[in-house]
Amino acid sequence: MNKRKKLIAIILGVALIFSMTLTGCNKSGKNDTSGKLNYPTKPVNMIIAFTAGGSSDVQARIMQKYWDKYVPQQNWVFNYKTGAGGAVGFAAIADSAPDGYTIGGVNTPHMVLQPLGQGAQFKIDDFEYICQVVDDPQVLAVNNKSKFKTWQEVIDYAKANPGKLKVGIVGTFTGHHLMYLDLKDKTGVELTQVVYKGAADQNAALLGGEIDVMIGNVNDVMRSVDQMKILAVAADERSSFLPDVPTFKETGLDLVSDIRRGFVAPKGTDPQIIAYLRDAFKKINDDPDYIADMKKAGQPQAYLSGEDFEKYVHDQDAHARQLLTKYGLMKS
Amino acid sequence: MWENILAGFVNSLVPINLLLMILGLVGGIIIGALPGLTATMGVALMVPITFAMDPISGLIMLGAIYSGAIYGGSNSAILINTPGTPSAVATTFDGWPMTKKGLADDALNTALIASAFGGLFGTLVLLFLAAPMAQLSLKFGAPEFFWLCIFGLSTIASMSQNNVLKGLLSGAFGLLISTIGLDPVLGLPRFTFGNYTFVQGIEVIPAMIGLFSFSQVIYLVGSKNNYIADYKAKKGVTSRILKQMAKTCKANLMRSSIIGAIVGILPGAGGEIASIISYNEGKKWDHNKGKYGTGVIDGVCSSEAANNATIGGSLIPMLTLGIPGSAVAAVIMGALLAQGIQPGFKIFSNNGELAYSFIVSMLIANILMVVVGSILIKGTAKILNVRTSYIGVAIVALAIIGSYAIRNSMFDVAIMVFFGLVGHFGGRIGMDTGAAALGIILGPIVEDNLSKSMAIAGAEGSIFTVFFTHPISLILIILTLISVLSPLFLGKHKSEKEAKANDQA
Repeated sequence: MNKRKKLIAIILGVALIFSMTLTGCNKSGKNDTSGKLNYPTKPVNMIIAFTAGGSSDVQARIMQKYWDKYVPQQNWVFNYKTGAGGAVGFAAIADSAPDGYTIGGVNTPHMVLQPLGQGAQFKIDDFEYICQVVDDPQVLAVNNKSKFKTWQEVIDYAKANPGKLKVGIVGTFTGHHLMYLDLKDKTGVELTQVVYKGAADQNAALLGGEIDVMIGNVNDVMRSVDQMKILAVAADERSSFLPDVPTFKETGLDLVSDIRRGFVAPKGTDPQIIAYLRDAFKKINDDPDYIADMKKAGQPQAYLSGEDFEKYVHDQDAHARQLLTKYGLMKS
Repeated sequence: MWENILAGFVNSLVPINLLLMILGLVGGIIIGALPGLTATMGVALMVPITFAMDPISGLIMLGAIYSGAIYGGSNSAILINTPGTPSAVATTFDGWPMTKKGLADDALNTALIASAFGGLFGTLVLLFLAAPMAQLSLKFGAPEFFWLCIFGLSTIASMSQNNVLKGLLSGAFGLLISTIGLDPVLGLPRFTFGNYTFVQGIEVIPAMIGLFSFSQVIYLVGSKNNYIADYKAKKGVTSRILKQMAKTCKANLMRSSIIGAIVGILPGAGGEIASIISYNEGKKWDHNKGKYGTGVIDGVCSSEAANNATIGGSLIPMLTLGIPGSAVAAVIMGALLAQGIQPGFKIFSNNGELAYSFIVSMLIANILMVVVGSILIKGTAKILNVRTSYIGVAIVALAIIGSYAIRNSMFDVAIMVFFGLVGHFGGRIGMDTGAAALGIILGPIVEDNLSKSMAIAGAEGSIFTVFFTHPISLILIILTLISVLSPLFLGKHKSEKEAKANDQA
């Protein structure tokens, strides 16, 4: 009997340890560096605001491979803080100690819209910007059996039938939502917005004919590209994934809308550390193997320096404020 | 196709792949059995490791983890009344009463065999009916989904036949809980009481762990029994149950597997909905229907066959259309894309060997699961021989880790404890935790699809046509009406019968 109890105790113990390792129960304390930059001397916490295995995570995991190449002394410890479309994770980065040992991934326009429209508890000024790594433009897509052949035909139909055109978007206060408002604002048409939880059910709805048009990201539409017709890309230049699809700009509508991913540290992190991180991330982004890995994973790689990314975020903020105010979506 | 299937068998039986399959099954079963560690998490954690492998070996392992984890959830559902994964909620309805009757062995083996059967069935559907099923998944729009969830909710009526009012109140409580957080239409905060933490809403898994498992611990601590239930290991249970199921559960296994495979192909609906609907259907049509809920193998069988049948189903739209039918399928799709493999109908011609090897390996994994599972059962069932004072501590520790793990947040641990208290004290005044759980699981999906349908109705100009004219919707409405009204008639019939019997006496 005793032996059996012991065995069970061991099984339970192993199960506990196993689940603790799985959930990554580790915390790193404060670090005091003085004088010359001695960094990093311990693992760096990487906060990801979306679930493990999602696009943001996959991208960061690819980066990690090259971080280990350029900063071999310390690795990253991934910490998933998910919820509220990323706002929980972004706030966690803003709230963490600015000691250089917590950094994290952010997404635009999410990080711009959430404080404006939903009262998220962080501001875009709560961060030190390290760099931008991905620029995933949005597209306007229809089912490949659709009667629409160009985006102009879609707008003409919407003009003739106000409120009849069903446009699918994923989530509110997201990149899709902003592009939807932008499209309405710039063409003056009346549309019906149908909000989906994720790209999967949105793609299914377009293929099944429940919605007429959808706003999607290059990364997402590529998966079902055989069944869809992509009408236009909302970017400055054509996408290398969709070389035959025109941009809105070249066909007469000044519409640029995208989801971008970058990395930030909490405000107040030692400028020397920020300079170190910016340099390390630049080396990774210049590595041809990294660029090849990103292409393989369907991630539209687009590097911007920390300064440029910070400026972009502030420009987006001004643009979003104007649109949300016009459509009455600002939170007080 | 046939040569690819043959190549699939060869690939699956290569020793290294067989080993990966067994490791995947064991790991998956453990992850599934631990409350809070879900199939999604298990598969997602292993994806980076597969990058270093041959793509076929990687997929074979991921498929085995997926199958193991969905089955594994039944172990804790049966032994400690705690669904290890949300898809095992319906397994507690009969599995736990069986344990209390000293039939834990029977329940565990039923779950194992039913899971393997459902898994095999789902995989065969994937192998031979991928194209038509993919088309069916696209026919399912927002109104169809809305009615499917209403149909799921109608389970409450038949679940709590003794006191429908309390069942409905419990379900409504669950629905109300599910409205906390950002609303799906405008993205505005509701019931957050000015506290930003609530913006993320109530996460289903911590609430579930609280309702089922933490409340159970409070009960165990308060009970005078030193052990959860009587349990003596018996020999040859697996083969006895196999024979018994072959005799009495054939129709049940088929019906449940078909329900599972169909629900599986729908993006956004997975094992949790399939097992609930299948259980409810079993309760209505099965030869043993009257005994459902009292601890019969039929109840365990209908829930477990259905949730494992969703696996094959959920992979259909993922492989053929690039639309994952479940969260796990989405993670597996990520693994495919990272290997440079594009999903789509072309996958069967461009990467035929890989696609068919993956599918065939799932057939073999489900058969292997019976062997692996029956060995593991011998160990897990011994939990019942540990004094409740130790088990209680272990469950509390697992409940806390599991709730924390969902999004690394202490807030979820507080939620878990809160629902533990609600479950325990609510149970004393007749609250139906199963009904509340249904409300919490189905609430967000109902609301989301109701609002999408309303938006579409606005554009099309008629609420009636959107909600009441689609053929699939009509079928679901009829099924719902049967589900809601049948207990009334059955109840009347029963009381008339009893009255007659009394007259004669």
